[in-house]
Amino acid sequence: MPREEKLQKRSLFVFVLLAVLLTLSVFLYIYSRTYAKAHRLNLEMDRAAFDSIMARTVPALIGMAVAAVLTAVVSLSFQTVTGSRILTPSMFGFDSVYVGTQTILVFMFGSVSRAFVDPYINYVITAGTIIAVSMMMYGFILRKNKNNLVFLLMFGLILSGIVRSGSAYLQVIMDAGDYNRVKAATSVTVNNMNTRIIFMALPLMLAVIVAMLIRHKTYDVMALGENSAKSLGIHYEKEIRLNLFLISLGMSVTTALIGSLTFLGLLAVNIARELFRTHRHIYLFIGSAGLSALALIAGQALSELLQGAVPVTVIIDLVGCSYMFYLILKEGRVK
Amino acid sequence: MIEEKNICQAYIKHRKKKTLENINLSVKKKAITALIGSNGAGKSTLLGVMSNMIPPLSGEVLIDGVNIRTLKPCELAKKIAILKQTHHISIRITVKDLVEFGRFPHSRGRLSDFDRKKVKESIAYMNLTEMEDRYLDELSGGQRQRAFIAMVLAQDTPYIFLDEPLNNLDVKYSVEMMRIIKKLVSELGKTVVVVLHDINFASAYADYIVAMKNGRIIGEGRPEQVITKEVLDEVFDHDFNIVSYQVRNACLYFDRVS
Repeated sequence: MPREEKLQKRSLFVFVLLAVLLTLSVFLYIYSRTYAKAHRLNLEMDRAAFDSIMARTVPALIGMAVAAVLTAVVSLSFQTVTGSRILTPSMFGFDSVYVGTQTILVFMFGSVSRAFVDPYINYVITAGTIIAVSMMMYGFILRKNKNNLVFLLMFGLILSGIVRSGSAYLQVIMDAGDYNRVKAATSVTVNNMNTRIIFMALPLMLAVIVAMLIRHKTYDVMALGENSAKSLGIHYEKEIRLNLFLISLGMSVTTALIGSLTFLGLLAVNIARELFRTHRHIYLFIGSAGLSALALIAGQALSELLQGAVPVTVIIDLVGCSYMFYLILKEGRVK
Repeated sequence: MIEEKNICQAYIKHRKKKTLENINLSVKKKAITALIGSNGAGKSTLLGVMSNMIPPLSGEVLIDGVNIRTLKPCELAKKIAILKQTHHISIRITVKDLVEFGRFPHSRGRLSDFDRKKVKESIAYMNLTEMEDRYLDELSGGQRQRAFIAMVLAQDTPYIFLDEPLNNLDVKYSVEMMRIIKKLVSELGKTVVVVLHDINFASAYADYIVAMKNGRIIGEGRPEQVITKEVLDEVFDHDFNIVSYQVRNACLYFDRVS
């Protein structure tokens, strides 16, 4: 089996390369936050200062890495389940549902209520809403219009439009203090991570990642399409439901922790596909996870080094958007 | 001898229109059963119900005496393999990759030496050994169809359901496909249920024919019992002309020269 060996050799090479680049970018990120910054501000970098910066940098690094990996893994499984290369779960509008939930929480209970202030209660409510909304979307639409994912996505688009304008309306009529707190809670980005929930978020995220990784063989079969997968003994409806649950769970944690990483998953997954040129999900999972973490951490390090006020997600979204245009045009030409 | 076993009994009821109505059918073992009928007669639906792809609204399907609704999907996949008429695949894989997927119900994706042997045998049986490393999109329609049959063979099930396997195949490949299906029965002892559009292919190759119309079975039996003017005229609403060629009946459906 020469082809199999070639694939293994190539992926080993890519994995090692990714690991080296990732390590480098981690060091670069730490350097950019400590010595580079100290140098710029003409400060001495002593042990105590270094430690205190590291105490903030390490959770940020872990948060970024796990969120990036989760985004990639979730995007790949979502693409397999929907049988499309240009969809990502972000298009369901999870982020607008997140903003909507926060706004309604403040509007109904006030910005000092426990439901809003307690990070855990807040998260449970938010995640519950996101999961309920996406399962409801599934129940309403997928069950009646068998596997009409285009319809589902359109519904997601419209829903997020309604939720967004609804929350904008509520934000306008609430008082200024409440408004500021909602804004602060919903403007989590890579630079401004919601580290208060990190100890709950990390295990959940890791659980979703592991749950998806161990099912890589099932995804291989599901990529064949519904009919073949069913004939090969895949419980198709159950798999779709389970995946939708895992995806909404994962997306809700990432959105609450680090904000929306809309195009990161799309970018990482498609580059991994180009690199490995295989249908085997285990390679694609690991490859896209590595690429995704690399893009986020290296990009963040660079943006710190260049003192850019622009968070890296903006750049990733820009690149990802252009890439998506390219993909749509390419797929359109093939058909 | 062919053992008769009642494996199929399905009944689907819709509020407005029934796609299947009071279907009682037992599929003969180790034989080819062909389902014929006009478009929308419910042939594919029946095949879907029989393989548990579509749940029946009422009634039950028994396989070897067991209701298939009670079987786990992965258990059922060891008994029934089904090939639907549209098996478009969006991913780019080779013939060998595809056939290896056929072992999934047995191996759950971890191929043992026995699985590899089965894959190799199935590929060889379908004369695809030289092109096992070619990608599916590089193959002709007939070759691709054979690759899919090889996957079904690797699945190693006693029952094989094929939904219009002759779709998009020209005469040469259609005949080749029917010969292969015949061989599956005579050499490997498979039980094949096949949906066919071409009545004459059913007449020439099937052991049993089930003729359907509007979700009902109009006639069933050996080809010479079903390929008759009375049955076919009713099933297809058309004026048929039955001719006898060797021992088989063939039907002509063109207008007579006046």
